[in-house]
Amino acid sequence: MSTAADGMITAGELAGRGPDPAGARRGRRRGQVNTGLVVGLVMTVTFLAIAALSLVWTPADPNAVAPADRLLPFGSPGHLIGTDALGRDIASALMIGARTSIVVAAGAALLGLVLGTVAGLTAASARPFVDETVMRGADILLSIPGVVFALVLAATVGAGVGSTVFALSVFFTPSFTRVVRAAALRVLGEDYVAAAQLYGRNRLFILARHVLPNIFSVLIVQFTLYFAVGILTEAGLSYLGVGVNRPDISWGMLLKEAQETVGVASPLAIWPGLAIVFAVLGLNLLGDGLRDVLDPRLRKRAS
Amino acid sequence: MTDQPVLDVRGLVVRRDDLVAVRGVDIQVRAGQRVGLVGESGAGKSLTALAVMGLLQLGWTTEGQVLHDGVDLTRISDRAFSSRRGRTLSMIFQDPLSALNPTQRVGAQITGVVRRHTEASRDDARAQALELFTQMHLPRPEQMLRAYPHELSGGQRQRVMIAMAMACYPQLIIADEPTTALDVTVQKQVLRLLDAAVQDRGSALLLITHDLSVIAAMCDHVLVMYGGRVVEEGPVREVLRSPRHPYTKGLLESQPTLDNIELEGTARLPSIRGNVPSLHDMPTGCAFRTRCDRATAQCEVVPVLEGDASRAACWHPEPALSQAGRS
Amino acid sequence: MSAETHGVPIIAASGVCQEYKLARRTLLGRRERLAALQDVSFHAMPGEAVGVVGESGSGKSTLTRLLVGQERPTAGVMEHEGRDLWSLDRDGRQEFRRSVQVVLQNPRSSLDPRMRVGSSLLQPLRALHVEVDMAARVREVLEQVGLGTDVLSKYPHEFSGGQLQRIAIARALMPHPKVVIADEPVSALDVSIQAQVLNLLKDLVTELGLTLVLIAHDLSVVAYTTSRVAVMSGGRIVETGRPADLFHHPTAEATQALVDAVLTVENGLAGKALR
Repeated sequence: MSTAADGMITAGELAGRGPDPAGARRGRRRGQVNTGLVVGLVMTVTFLAIAALSLVWTPADPNAVAPADRLLPFGSPGHLIGTDALGRDIASALMIGARTSIVVAAGAALLGLVLGTVAGLTAASARPFVDETVMRGADILLSIPGVVFALVLAATVGAGVGSTVFALSVFFTPSFTRVVRAAALRVLGEDYVAAAQLYGRNRLFILARHVLPNIFSVLIVQFTLYFAVGILTEAGLSYLGVGVNRPDISWGMLLKEAQETVGVASPLAIWPGLAIVFAVLGLNLLGDGLRDVLDPRLRKRAS
Repeated sequence: MTDQPVLDVRGLVVRRDDLVAVRGVDIQVRAGQRVGLVGESGAGKSLTALAVMGLLQLGWTTEGQVLHDGVDLTRISDRAFSSRRGRTLSMIFQDPLSALNPTQRVGAQITGVVRRHTEASRDDARAQALELFTQMHLPRPEQMLRAYPHELSGGQRQRVMIAMAMACYPQLIIADEPTTALDVTVQKQVLRLLDAAVQDRGSALLLITHDLSVIAAMCDHVLVMYGGRVVEEGPVREVLRSPRHPYTKGLLESQPTLDNIELEGTARLPSIRGNVPSLHDMPTGCAFRTRCDRATAQCEVVPVLEGDASRAACWHPEPALSQAGRS
Repeated sequence: MSAETHGVPIIAASGVCQEYKLARRTLLGRRERLAALQDVSFHAMPGEAVGVVGESGSGKSTLTRLLVGQERPTAGVMEHEGRDLWSLDRDGRQEFRRSVQVVLQNPRSSLDPRMRVGSSLLQPLRALHVEVDMAARVREVLEQVGLGTDVLSKYPHEFSGGQLQRIAIARALMPHPKVVIADEPVSALDVSIQAQVLNLLKDLVTELGLTLVLIAHDLSVVAYTTSRVAVMSGGRIVETGRPADLFHHPTAEATQALVDAVLTVENGLAGKALR
């Protein structure tokens, strides 16, 4: 397969060697900037920066009720985006909400990623029986709707950040398991794995030193995309009232509160809505952009 | 034979951004002629073929002309091209499994080609397909028509591909490494069938391969490509008996064949030193000079094809009248 | 270096069979068996270069997997220096892994793309706990395969196929093996590079006294590099002999077919290649 059309393939293959030395070269060689990736990166960094800022500073206390200042419009002095029906500062609430989104969504995605990687690598490298067991287990978990599971969990354990993270990670883990298993199987089929086995490397070494580095780009991309899914799902759960509640603040919860006053002050629902769109769009653009750069196989299939 | 070539490629350049894979290639194929295009990875032979067929992947652009049947193929619309592909020119690929539609029976695929380009009725097309399969010595052709590509062996698939390419009596067939993916024993059968099919229809053949012995068996004219350019061109007998370009000579000498097997263990094959340059660091001037024993300062300038019986692009070619015998 | 019959073969298979179970056709159906190798006996003497040829499906890949100890045969005995491979103790097994090394077909796949070449070269030594001066050994081996030390800090994608195959050969040589098993080592390489790699393998046999087992589909490649060739077909070894004899007086049908299939430039020019 190396002979024909090799010129064509070499360039593409070179572009697929990941973030190490090839990474720097590739951008120059292709001579084109991936717009989606750059926009996504800027949006995501902004989102993360705002969340980080809320740790040290917010314009006001978002839980401080001030009936005198209720329903101030956009651009009011001291309340940049205005206040809600109880006079609480919306800008501050949004900043804290960004933090909650990160804790819940990134936490759940990370937990799902770790569990999914362990399960996926086990399934890919173990005997067929173990593989079948793990994967059918994943199928069963996937067949339970995530939102329903979170509702049940909230009803039994109680709503809150902890149970939301747990519910989401249970929801994410099987998907990660599938992706990791598929990627790992591809690497395990490579000759360098066969070579490593022949000079006596054990399974753990092969998984850690050969498989993990080579599926790392897949993991990064999946994490980014599920981070976005996590934000959406968390917003949905909080909107239903089984996620985050005051004094914690999340965007979904703000949406729920805004809905209660929708006839009085409709714009209230716009701000958390925009925040969700901004964060999710940014992460999705980033994830797709990374996938294009890191995994040329998928790009080829898509075109 | 008319004097108008069925394929006249003039100054073809294929590039992607600043990556130039084909650097000005001229190819003429006359009616009924069999032209071989030899080269290894990065030589640009496959991109040349894809450019001629209008099948380059997104991002690759062409310059120059590809004249076929009085039109410049690089300038006609995709639609106009589609109506020619399979009819006046057709292509045989290296990997028939990916070139055939996996969800359609091979018989349907062949009759599809026939009916798209001719007025044939369903039954006529089917009869033609059956006839083609019989010519290709496919066992039990009736049943074979109803098979899906994955149910066939590699050799059978390639025969189906050839049958499909021959269906409309094309003026020109472009075969890109048609036997590289096949077992050696199957290779010969497939080449034999391709040979007969081209012969029967009087089609011209442009055969792309890395294997000089396939060229020797199938072609009457050969172009040797290296680093995106044609470095030697001429009648097969001339070029392979008395190669003038050091690259062609090196290729011929470095292949283990029946002759040097007699040496058994004692002697070594002469080999071309160095490595095949990648597209990203192609030497300036003559691309072969970094691997060539004869290279001088003069070779930093690109040589042009020169000669009578066979033409070589080399500043220090082998004399034209060298002996036919090889060591 | 010739194939004399005295002494103990360094690697041998006697009466080896290998069967694979196929996947079930139906849920409770019986798993059918596929006999990939049937009663195969094969050996290589120290310092000998032996070839195995056959078409795809002839069983040569299965034989390779058995020779390198990747799979255990369903019947028959695999031996390394006269000792049963599958009843070796831990140390014996380690010694086998050190002294039998493999070079695979596709050099792009046989080196980890995320590992620097230097690190890849040291892997066999580290895995097998070979006590040597690693830096000196790397320099020595790189010189044997004709590469400079500048390759060590690079990644595989920075090399061409021919260079990568040299690196793969270097890795195989690192732990001072006695046997190198090369599975189609040149079929993925460019024509102008194949001769380089074949010459290199040939030199290693003469200069280092290595035993070489070369597996290929191309009779002329095997014949050029080795002094004794086994022809495989349908899971059996159908003929063994000196390459020149096989070429000129093939007795088995499969050998005849392989010889007939060889295309040469001379035959082509004489117009008898396709006859």
